[in-house]
Amino acid sequence: MTSSNAVVDVHGLEKTYGKANERQYQALKGLNFQVAAGEFVGIMGASGSGKTTLLNMLSTLDVPTKGDVIVNGHDVTKMRGNQLADFRAQEVGFIFQDFNLLESLTAEENIGLPLALKGTSSKIMDQAIHEVADTLSIADLLQKYPSELSGGQKQRVAAARAIVHHPSILMGDEPTGALDSTSARELLDLLTTINQEQHMSVLLVTHDPFSASFCQRILFIKDGLIGSEIRRGDQDRSAFYQQILNELGTFNE
Amino acid sequence: MLGKLALAGIKNRRRDYLVLLAGLTMPAAIFYMFANLTTNKAFVKANGVVGQSMLIFGFGAVLLILITIVYIMYANSFLLSMRQHDYGLFMMLGAKKRRIGQLVFLETLILGTVATAIGIVLGLLMSRFLVGFLLNALGLHLAHLESFYLPAIIATAVLYVGLFILASLFNLVKLTRTTVLKLLHTDEQANQPQVKPVRQMIAGIVGILLLAAGYWALANIKMLQMAAIPFAIVTITLGTYLLFRATLLTIIRWLRQTKWAKKHLNGFLMGQLNFRVYNYTRMLTIVSLLFAMALGAITVGSGYHRQLPMMADSLGSYTIAIHDKTAKEQQLIGKLNVVNQATYTQKRQGKTVFYNAAEFKQHPYEFNEGTMTPKYVKKTAAQMKSTDLNSLDFLNLAVLGQNNLYAPKMLNAAKFSRQAGKTVSVTTIRVKNIDKDRATLKKLNQLEMARFPHASELTVGNYQSYELMLAFFGGLEFMGYFLGIAFLAMLASCLMFKILSGAPGDKRRYRMLYKVGVRHSLMRNGIAKEIGIFFMIPGIMGVIDVLFGLQMFKPLMPKPMSPYLGIGSTFAIFIGLYAIYYLITLALYWQIVLPQAPATVDHK
Repeated sequence: MTSSNAVVDVHGLEKTYGKANERQYQALKGLNFQVAAGEFVGIMGASGSGKTTLLNMLSTLDVPTKGDVIVNGHDVTKMRGNQLADFRAQEVGFIFQDFNLLESLTAEENIGLPLALKGTSSKIMDQAIHEVADTLSIADLLQKYPSELSGGQKQRVAAARAIVHHPSILMGDEPTGALDSTSARELLDLLTTINQEQHMSVLLVTHDPFSASFCQRILFIKDGLIGSEIRRGDQDRSAFYQQILNELGTFNE
Repeated sequence: MLGKLALAGIKNRRRDYLVLLAGLTMPAAIFYMFANLTTNKAFVKANGVVGQSMLIFGFGAVLLILITIVYIMYANSFLLSMRQHDYGLFMMLGAKKRRIGQLVFLETLILGTVATAIGIVLGLLMSRFLVGFLLNALGLHLAHLESFYLPAIIATAVLYVGLFILASLFNLVKLTRTTVLKLLHTDEQANQPQVKPVRQMIAGIVGILLLAAGYWALANIKMLQMAAIPFAIVTITLGTYLLFRATLLTIIRWLRQTKWAKKHLNGFLMGQLNFRVYNYTRMLTIVSLLFAMALGAITVGSGYHRQLPMMADSLGSYTIAIHDKTAKEQQLIGKLNVVNQATYTQKRQGKTVFYNAAEFKQHPYEFNEGTMTPKYVKKTAAQMKSTDLNSLDFLNLAVLGQNNLYAPKMLNAAKFSRQAGKTVSVTTIRVKNIDKDRATLKKLNQLEMARFPHASELTVGNYQSYELMLAFFGGLEFMGYFLGIAFLAMLASCLMFKILSGAPGDKRRYRMLYKVGVRHSLMRNGIAKEIGIFFMIPGIMGVIDVLFGLQMFKPLMPKPMSPYLGIGSTFAIFIGLYAIYYLITLALYWQIVLPQAPATVDHK
């Protein structure tokens, strides 16, 4: 069931915590889904539904107990050591709820990090940083340290770092979780722009219906399985928002 | 309940606490050994440690106390950095500040007391075995050296427990004055120091001037007398501090602008250094000073060790002279590494000793005509002048009694055979290295002295001079080694703790890097470089300090000895030991900071 243009292909994904002789907890119970190239997909679910576990598997921060995760043609479950690190550095862009910016580096140095890891020449690096900074309108913040930035600014810097090296997919783990509503909205608009203009696939994990309403398709996880799925289609965002609320209403019962 | 929680917290960090305990035990043990050596009056008197050298011991003790205070401060901040998050959490959950304060106080005090107790026991063992080993290795004998000395135990216990009470109070005040939120997020703050170019320039210049003044004072210790040492300590400390403060940040800022900083983790490394160096300036200053003192002490110690045989060699022409050698003595001579050996017949009558010129034609007598380095010249009877005949070395071959020597006279073979008198044969032997053949020489000397005793003030042969010098300088040599090792242990532990106290904060940073996809090897290298730089800065400064500071030992090392002779190998060994400390710190840091492989990743 692998479709040729899928950026992410998850098949029969299971994750069990605890050793065989201990009390075990199955967080994921055989998940199947795909994200097509250029798609903006949301994953929703209540606390403890397995969202974060899923994202950890996708981003190779954790290894599944069973099943396959194929990202941009790479089977990440078969990777080890340096391969995993390189995969994270090159194929995936991350935005975390707590920003994950290095406070000892300036915004510019933070953004340049993925390129530095690749060994990009400083000339190309400068060019790429300024390009992405212009897109995200943070050009005037580049010389500042994270401690001098507001939450919204930090998250934009984090977003710049996530896309500066043109990864095949951008993953967000509650990226608006620590932001006020204006900053959250700006960030989501930004993600939409990145998705549409750069044709970058975006996978957003969230429990916030407003954030989710920016997606094209939403997968609902419940007790370690995909419970249901809705598409935005031609609806405008507020109609889709209503649909999500309705779905959540029935889904959680 | 809270007590139990705190205890559980400690249990969970067993490894970190073991490091801390081991680190605190070390200085207590060293201090005990030092106190044992310096406060033991019987020992100090018996080993002729007088005047100038006693003052050096005094300074050593004061320095060791100062270092201990600084050291405990760093160890304490390491402890606090481990605990503040936990205590912050307890407070957030509603624990009273007073109760937390009690816990902190108790925890610090108990840890300190246990460390002191273990340290004293360790110090006792070390006094017994390590000091014994060191003395053995150096071939020294120091009288009245005992491992158990009550006043030293009391001094160590009072000083350390006292310091820990202060540290506990400090922790108490610090924790109870800090807000809960700050406690929870302390490691997330990073201060970006400001750079003011003009001020830094001035600070740098003043720093260099102060350093120069300090070095000048050490070089002119003869003129300034003992005032030179405190003066130099103050100026060099201040100078180093200002110089570090002025230059380190500027260098890092400059490096950050280069292309090099944009490769791999170099930029991250520079960022780390940038916000750390400023906080570390004081520590680096102290460590560089300690480094200098440790290296200086060992250099002086090894200088004596290496140069005393040389000095002995320069005094006379033969190592030992044996009269009427027996079969047993002949056998011992066979074991020596002999360079030159000659036997002459003496006829002693009245106050004159007669030699057979023919024997000197066959075996010319070897004179040492060098003043500082030996210069051997062989002479037959015909070549000898009256000054040669009356050189102390030659006169010493025939001892008449207290302060009394036979007057030598050369006779030709015919006259010699007719000359009346007591016939004695004398064998002069020169060995290649007195120190290497010391055991055999000792036996030979005992046999010789049993049959031909003379007053101990008179030394016949370089071996006897050497033993006399060892008795005189041995205490200094030993103290040099001992202080060097003690300072090295302290300085490296200081550095280790200061660096390790930054580890909890770094743990988060490296976890971020891990998530972003930095290879493990890259992170390991990055850490190795960062810690390496912190070890190198005081190392380089310390070496420079020593190179200038050794000037002050010139008056204590009479020519041909020189504090600079053969320092290369001493430096190499010392730096090797320092490198071992670096590797230990690095291994600990890696363990604390590096994220685990994915299979065991915790989910946050």
